[in-house]
Amino acid sequence: MRTMRRLLATPEGAVGLALLACLALVALFAPVLSPGDPLRIAGRALTTPFSDPAFPLGTDRLGRDVLAGLIHGARTSLAVGLAAAAAALAMGLCVGLAAGFAGGLLDEALMRMVDAFQIVPGFLLALAFVSVVGPSVPVVVLAIALGAWADPARLTRAQVLSVRERDYVAAARVAGMHPVEIAVREILPNVLPPVLALSAIIVAAAILTEAALSFLGLGDPNVVTWGSMIAEGRNVLRSSPWLSIFPGIALVLTVVGVYLLGEGLTRALSGRRAAA
Amino acid sequence: MLTAIPTRRTFLQAGAALLASTALPTLARAQAASAGGRLIVAADSEPKNLNPAIVASNGVFFVASKVIEPLAEASFEGKDGLSPRLATAWEGSEDGLSVTFKLRAGVTWHDGKPFTSADVAFSALSVWKPLQNLGRIVFANLETVETPDAATAVFRFSKPTPLQLIRNALPVVSSVIPKHLYEGTDIAANPANVQLVGTGPFRFAEYKPGEYYRLTRNDAYWGKPQPNLDEIVFRVLPDRAGAGAALEAEEIQLAAFSAVPLTDLDRISRVPGIKVITKGYEALTYQLVVEINHRRKELADLKVRQAIAHAIDRKFVVDTIFLGYAAASTGPVPKNAPEFYDADVPTYDFDVAKANALLDEAGYAKDADGKRFSLKLRPAPYFNETRQFGDYLRQALAAVGIDAEIVNADSAAHQKAVYTDHDFDLAVAPPVFRGDPAISTTILVQSGIPAGVGFSNQGGYANAELDAVIAKAAETIDTARRTELYRQFQKLVAADLPLINVAEWGFITVARDSVLNVASNPRWAVSNWADTALQG
Repeated sequence: MRTMRRLLATPEGAVGLALLACLALVALFAPVLSPGDPLRIAGRALTTPFSDPAFPLGTDRLGRDVLAGLIHGARTSLAVGLAAAAAALAMGLCVGLAAGFAGGLLDEALMRMVDAFQIVPGFLLALAFVSVVGPSVPVVVLAIALGAWADPARLTRAQVLSVRERDYVAAARVAGMHPVEIAVREILPNVLPPVLALSAIIVAAAILTEAALSFLGLGDPNVVTWGSMIAEGRNVLRSSPWLSIFPGIALVLTVVGVYLLGEGLTRALSGRRAAA
Repeated sequence: MLTAIPTRRTFLQAGAALLASTALPTLARAQAASAGGRLIVAADSEPKNLNPAIVASNGVFFVASKVIEPLAEASFEGKDGLSPRLATAWEGSEDGLSVTFKLRAGVTWHDGKPFTSADVAFSALSVWKPLQNLGRIVFANLETVETPDAATAVFRFSKPTPLQLIRNALPVVSSVIPKHLYEGTDIAANPANVQLVGTGPFRFAEYKPGEYYRLTRNDAYWGKPQPNLDEIVFRVLPDRAGAGAALEAEEIQLAAFSAVPLTDLDRISRVPGIKVITKGYEALTYQLVVEINHRRKELADLKVRQAIAHAIDRKFVVDTIFLGYAAASTGPVPKNAPEFYDADVPTYDFDVAKANALLDEAGYAKDADGKRFSLKLRPAPYFNETRQFGDYLRQALAAVGIDAEIVNADSAAHQKAVYTDHDFDLAVAPPVFRGDPAISTTILVQSGIPAGVGFSNQGGYANAELDAVIAKAAETIDTARRTELYRQFQKLVAADLPLINVAEWGFITVARDSVLNVASNPRWAVSNWADTALQG
């Protein structure tokens, strides 16, 4: 709760949180705000925005409602972004914890694996993975996580290395706690904050990667995403630029929101550490 | 009508355009300077094998047809829709077992050797029949080619082969390559498959991968004083969005095969100095088809197939997806093949209520969510329009309670999934009608085709009556009777719906006004361009 209050005290945190809260609400209530399939052909093709009250943001090449697409796209973008970041963090934490705590040969092996993943550009990895396995939401989540888990793994390991020599860990060891219990109950809570601060960047990157994959036609074609909307709009960019502009704005707002929240979180957490 | 408003280019505009075209400044200047001139054309693919005798596809013909010529080319006004090229006359025997070609005299290859009937015999027996994708079908029963003299080639068949089929196939299957360069070599790996040597109006000068193909004037062309142009450069512009901008900047002067997206045509047609041409693709009709996997028990039911046909709004497809640059289909033969086309077939109007009634009748009632059953839909990735139609079809099917899940894949994966693994329920395909139903159309519905043959019936459909008609037409010599059999074929396909024909379309050429004689024949983009000229 203290962290939350500190977070809201920073301007970045407040703005970021507000942006994301709006977005989360839109995503959560998408079926209420715009009932039915957002890919449904709802009206005349290429209605210009603000000209027809039924389609405030106009319609696309096939007559699909752009606003409905944006609302439901928020769902996909946020869901994929959060799921991919969660998967990446979980993988990173496990690997980092194991490597840092166990040390020795396991550490070497795991860290060389992390090196291998860090060398390959994350987007390329996702691209290759999706084109081999085939596009669907779970595959896209996994593909993005695959390119993003290496950073939290490295960070976790570094934190673990510094924490594991502390007195309270030694005390736990002397008290006869099982190593796994020490790792999970004593070390993990203390390495978590900086890794969580990193999570904002991972979410933002995951949302962008998802959009880029969809833009290249490697997203799930059965759900609407902002990336696929931009890709569709690109074909008519000269005559109907709004089809790319609106989802583009949505994407920018989301990523800026996540980034600001991350900044705020970092400041709030470092404030706590300074105060402690 | 979409026609550009011709306005006189002012000196300033021309100057600005020259300054703007930084990529190929010297090329742009050459256009203004000479009467022959250099034509710069957008190309969007770089085929690995450029030999049209082996790969009879539009991507190859686009470049290669200027260098290597067929025996005859399609024509708007010629007899039987043909104009002579390397052959000057052709005649079939009464029994359908032979066709005699009289060849043009005084033709030389680009390397100076004379063109003779031996080249035709070699091309037919060693390349068209065993190696070419379409020649395999057309020349399946070709036994020998006799060459009584240098200007005569007699094709002898083991079974009666209709002259009508050979005639209709000539522009596509009969590219003649030089025997003296290919004989005794590995034909598929011959360097001349890229460094082409032919008899055509242009010589193959150079190919820079990723950049351009350059063809230069053949001064010894048999059709002198043609060609009119000095040079043709095919600039590789893989990004379709880039072709329109390149035309406006005068970096290129012509973009064929709808390289400029349909959505951009309305705008670009109003740009001064640019014209939009819809003619010149009459013999290259693409068909938008829903392929059906009849192994699915629901789809094996004719009522379900009829319901799907009724659920598709062809007017929406033509007006919104193709922006009017297409026509609704009635059956497997397109309207602009008047020799065969039959309008008197069962048709399926857009009628959602009827589609729902048919599905109810078939015993697939809607469940609580309004869904009857689910299908896997694979739209072919080759064109924007096939993908968009996939999106539309999913919605059209949802309206009648069929839940279609779209599966996207790249070209190779799509072809493997549909034509080899049969991992689809519905697929969207763009087959080509090539002037005669026997060339590449009957194979779409005929049974007994092994798995792995692309663009064929891989939906497990088998109809003995239809197979019998196709087999009979393949050996019917009499043109009138053969045509009648293909009318029957259209009726059977439209009635039993082995696949659903939705629309048919040709491509669009966009060119600068300075390019003359565009679309002078029904296969213009893939013809030899000997008459094409540039205004000085």
